[in-house]
Amino acid sequence: MSTQTAAEREMAALLIEALHLEDRDAATVDPSAPLFGDSESGWGLDSIDALEIALAIQQKYGVELKAENEATKRAFASLRTLSEYVAAQRGSAAH
Amino acid sequence: MPAAAAMLPLLAPGDARATLWQRGAQRITRAAFLQAAQRLADEMRGEAGPLINLCESREGFALTLAAALLARRPLLLPPSVAPAALREIAATHGARRVVADREEQAAGLPWRAAPQVEALDVATAPALPPIAAGTIAAIPFTSGSTGHPQPHAKTWGELVRTARLSMRRFVPDGGASIVATVPPQHMYGLETSVLYALAGGLATHGARPLFPADVADALTQMEAPRLLVTTPLHLRALLAAGAALPPLARIVSATAPLSVELAAAAEARFGAPVEEIYGCTEAGSLATRRTVEGEVWRLHEGATLVAHEDGAALHGAHLPAPVWLHDRIEPLDDGRFRLLGRSADLLKVAGKRMSAADLTQKLLLIPGVEDGVIVPPDGARERLAAVVVAPNVSEAEILRALAQQVDPVFLPRPLKRVAQLPRNEIGKLSRAQLAALLGES
Repeated sequence: MSTQTAAEREMAALLIEALHLEDRDAATVDPSAPLFGDSESGWGLDSIDALEIALAIQQKYGVELKAENEATKRAFASLRTLSEYVAAQRGSAAH
Repeated sequence: MPAAAAMLPLLAPGDARATLWQRGAQRITRAAFLQAAQRLADEMRGEAGPLINLCESREGFALTLAAALLARRPLLLPPSVAPAALREIAATHGARRVVADREEQAAGLPWRAAPQVEALDVATAPALPPIAAGTIAAIPFTSGSTGHPQPHAKTWGELVRTARLSMRRFVPDGGASIVATVPPQHMYGLETSVLYALAGGLATHGARPLFPADVADALTQMEAPRLLVTTPLHLRALLAAGAALPPLARIVSATAPLSVELAAAAEARFGAPVEEIYGCTEAGSLATRRTVEGEVWRLHEGATLVAHEDGAALHGAHLPAPVWLHDRIEPLDDGRFRLLGRSADLLKVAGKRMSAADLTQKLLLIPGVEDGVIVPPDGARERLAAVVVAPNVSEAEILRALAQQVDPVFLPRPLKRVAQLPRNEIGKLSRAQLAALLGES
């Protein structure tokens, strides 16, 4: 398991709250585990969750996501890619 | 009764150069679609047997359907894309090939890449043979109470006639364009975004926009008047995100109950009537209502309902046989009725159904679970929740055990562990106390 950054931990807490996954601990989730698909090795999320995540991210960080966009599809691979994508979008919006 | 020999066109008659599918900024004409369907049908005639259609784009899905109709190959529409479910359906129904966007979706079965219309426009539309109304067009499945998916074969005639009935309620005389957020494989999406295109000739967006910004983009690409086909979940997200949508003629919702508050907020925000479809996989759509006008449903023209104690029988000239509904209804005059409630046992999440008793039993059979109750979804919660007594197993362990047996949409969220359930003296649980335990008081 790889180590979390502070941003990844914050994103994990956001997902756990938005998706009612209180059985998970934000401090111990693997940031590189896949968000969608198989629930054995990853989060096992589906498109209902993706919609909830997009809303939570928009409300917390003001970043609007588009699923039709290839970069967004890649961003939803793991907690790490999602957290990096949102940080990059916030950075570009601020300049 | 419709004559068995009746023929229905593959595509409603109309201008060959008019737009049928919108692919991003590109427009695909009816003539181009018909030519592509003819070519794909020629390829499909090279083998026989049903096809599993998993195409994500509506254009690819509809092209596969059209070609399969011409080649007389029924489409199987599985209830789940899980590899085990696909293999079971392929084995029990003799599926020969999976048509899908990616090979890994085919679960090891023979695969063909999702087709798309190659030329956006062609000078003349090929003449296409009409389709016999009795041809089996698609076989959607429901998750049966036995755990095995139940097939519901649909003839081309039934699909076309049902779509015409619901279109009469929603589509203005001059036609409309369609954007749908639901998959074409589900009965609701099949009728409103694939049959409306083929049987109604309506220009339809090929994508399945998910996030609010995607829905806004897709709608902007279509010409007015626009119809948005969606679900309470997407409507709530569009409102929460403050999405700016172009003018809409109508919003249609199905798959889960829509609250009057949400419908009223969407009408006020998007300036269009919000109407609901009442339907099921067995019958397709069967009634509609404008949610803000009250709880009374209007049955499709020519259909009748006969109420029974624990359900109702639906009859209609558009159906090959009467359909049993698992909802209790109160018939009113003039084809109107009130829904008295789902038979209490039925859970419905993301358009899928499961018996609450069956799910509760699976939960209680997990080692370490001593007591438990399933709390059905409500207006504020899309998913079902559960409250369990299990002193020595964690939430994660319980969910992992349950995930082996049920579709992921039925995994409780939240799953709350408590010391004991608030049962009253006769062993019943109060809804209010359960809501309080779930933090929803």
